[in-house]
Amino acid sequence: MSNFSNIWVIFKREYMTRITNKTFIIMTFLAPVLIAGFYALAIYIAVADETESEIHTVLVSDQSKQLKLSDFSNYKLLPAPDYDYPQQRIDSAKAYVNRGICYAWLQIDDKDLTVLDSTTLYSEQAPSLTQMESINQWISNQSKEKQLLKFGIRPTTLDSLDVSGSVRLMEISEQGVASNSSSGLKSGIGFILAFLIYMFIFMYGAAVMRGAFEEKTNRIVEVIVSSVKPFQLMMGKILGIAAVGLTQVAAWVLVLIAIVFIGGTVVGKQKMSEFKQQSSAISMDSTFASAGLPTANNEMSANSNPVAKMSALSDFLSGTESIPAGEILIIFVLYFIGGYLLYASMFAAIGAAVNQETETQQFMLPITMPLVLSFVIAQSVALKAPNGSTAELFSMIPFTSPIIMVVRAPFGVPISQLLLSLGILILTFVFMVWLTSKIYRIGILSYGKKPSWGDLWKWIRQ
Amino acid sequence: MTPIISAREVNKSFGQQAVSKNISLDLLPGEIYGLLGPNGAGKTTLIRMLATITQPDSGEIFFNGNPLHPDHSQRMGYMPEERGLYKKMSVADQLLFFAQLRGLNQAEAKAKVKYWLERLEMMDWAKKKIEEISKGMAQKVQFVSCIMHKPELLILDEPFSGFDPVNADLIKELILELQQEGCSILFSTHRMDNVEELCSKIGIIHRGEKVMDGSISEIKRGNFSGKYDVGFHESMENTAYPVIPIKSWITNDGRYMMRFQTSENFGPQQLMQWATTQSTPMVYFSEYIPSIHDIFVATVDQSNTPTHE
Repeated sequence: MSNFSNIWVIFKREYMTRITNKTFIIMTFLAPVLIAGFYALAIYIAVADETESEIHTVLVSDQSKQLKLSDFSNYKLLPAPDYDYPQQRIDSAKAYVNRGICYAWLQIDDKDLTVLDSTTLYSEQAPSLTQMESINQWISNQSKEKQLLKFGIRPTTLDSLDVSGSVRLMEISEQGVASNSSSGLKSGIGFILAFLIYMFIFMYGAAVMRGAFEEKTNRIVEVIVSSVKPFQLMMGKILGIAAVGLTQVAAWVLVLIAIVFIGGTVVGKQKMSEFKQQSSAISMDSTFASAGLPTANNEMSANSNPVAKMSALSDFLSGTESIPAGEILIIFVLYFIGGYLLYASMFAAIGAAVNQETETQQFMLPITMPLVLSFVIAQSVALKAPNGSTAELFSMIPFTSPIIMVVRAPFGVPISQLLLSLGILILTFVFMVWLTSKIYRIGILSYGKKPSWGDLWKWIRQ
Repeated sequence: MTPIISAREVNKSFGQQAVSKNISLDLLPGEIYGLLGPNGAGKTTLIRMLATITQPDSGEIFFNGNPLHPDHSQRMGYMPEERGLYKKMSVADQLLFFAQLRGLNQAEAKAKVKYWLERLEMMDWAKKKIEEISKGMAQKVQFVSCIMHKPELLILDEPFSGFDPVNADLIKELILELQQEGCSILFSTHRMDNVEELCSKIGIIHRGEKVMDGSISEIKRGNFSGKYDVGFHESMENTAYPVIPIKSWITNDGRYMMRFQTSENFGPQQLMQWATTQSTPMVYFSEYIPSIHDIFVATVDQSNTPTHE
């Protein structure tokens, strides 16, 4: 029987037993729901403005006599009773707060508000960092307004000088065609793909390791290696599990598409009318603002300005124009498979070498380190400077390239770099399979004492 | 006749320890070869080399006259001493997998699986996972998995250890059946009753060396020929012996036994004449044919003596 048909028989067994496993079936359909739920929650937390709805009364004892008491955030500001002596003011602040007459007492003892060094907030509960920031901001804004008025500048005049909108990004392709682009979207796509590869290598690499280990401890391996070469057994196992992984990813994509599609049609109809109302309100606001008239949102800071938010969103969406979707997909699939194969062969060798599951730990470190390192690089360097020299270097090293290259993919990678990196990855994979199959061949039939690094080296040289 | 498998001065070491030293053996088609030896003698190492799992450091192994190649494993069946099956896999899938690994195509493999499940009356368990069936049944599955492809050579490492008596008998029956169909069988064992029952040839391995081999009748008559046991009702202590007995003992039923080594000058006829002319009546006279157990113990003891070190 040819080498190929042996690998095929092993491949088929790995694939069929895993794919018909109940846990696999459940996870295949449950995981997208869990992932979608997780991201929905994360996005909700990030987007939702965490503002407390409860209105807090804050008594303001203003010795500068400059502040105009206006409510902001969820604070209702009221003038505090006045006392002649500082100690009296502190005592009553304590008494008011303790008895719950007010939420907090803001004691402003600075005469000149440009420098705050004796202004204190008395409160029973410490307000959050953002709440403290908003109080600081409130005083600072009022102080600024006063200063500006001294120079004869009205705050509304200043507002009208603010730049609205943001710089639009246009990418020029080699053919000279300009298209809308979005760095945010590209980073997002790159990062998600890198995360998928990272997860896949760990999950299925570990499955290969456990499989080899189980065959060894079950003692079934001796019967198998009397019919197939250990190399064929290892390859059949690695490829079979890769096929299981690809099937799972394909199923997840299908389920996710179904969720988005069904969710989109159900939620979409409801949200559309809300969206229309919201966008007309925004356009009204922006008209007022440009005319220098006060609007309902004029107390909001610029970064929470819905106009800015909407334009960023539209930029984000129009950025899909410049995403080379086909290219990304090809790069992803190639590195997805290449990265898995490289690491899976090492996982297989470990599974074959050890006698007990606990023994795997000492050998795991050199495998997990480059993986974790590439994920760290992906998050920092590659996202900040996807075409920088660090990103380029790590996208050539085969142990980090599968993760770094997919992060770079949406930003466009020169074809020469891609070919070089893939070439190195394939050569390393072939070398690694040759090396690890030597460990696998001896390890799988060696029982008894815990193997050391020295033993592995001896097996390689045998 | 070309031996189905033949080893020529095979050596194998693990580190500094030589596990097989210049071992040669031949197994002719249709023969059943018993490989005997104490624990750690190097039986499993030799068997693994014959089964293409490991390669000798030096020496050669031939299969049907051709240098042994991994592809020959398709024509062999092999059951190692340490056995195992995929616990989560069904009985039928497991057998199908092994049949395909041994080169049968899907259709042939399915037909074989059906035949064997019916023959072992296990059709009802076909879809059960290995972890759900009894140990005895799993043992049957294990054995059948290595003979489904009708091997020309079956190599079994300690086939009777760990099997219950019913299954051990079943295996014996199947081994004899395979032999009738022309299959050659080589197995290692430390159970001498199986050897006497099944084997036409034996080889004894001790400390990595083959210390004896040949057909059972040859071995039994070879080094151990010309010995006779004579029995009397009373002690013969005060009698003059024609030759010095090599052993004397009293049986449970009170017979006084002696073993004599005959020679050209003093044959069995002379021995019998002497025995029948004694004042005490002779009650037993027989040629001593050693059991394989005796041969094994004697051989191992002999090779333990310092001259063999």
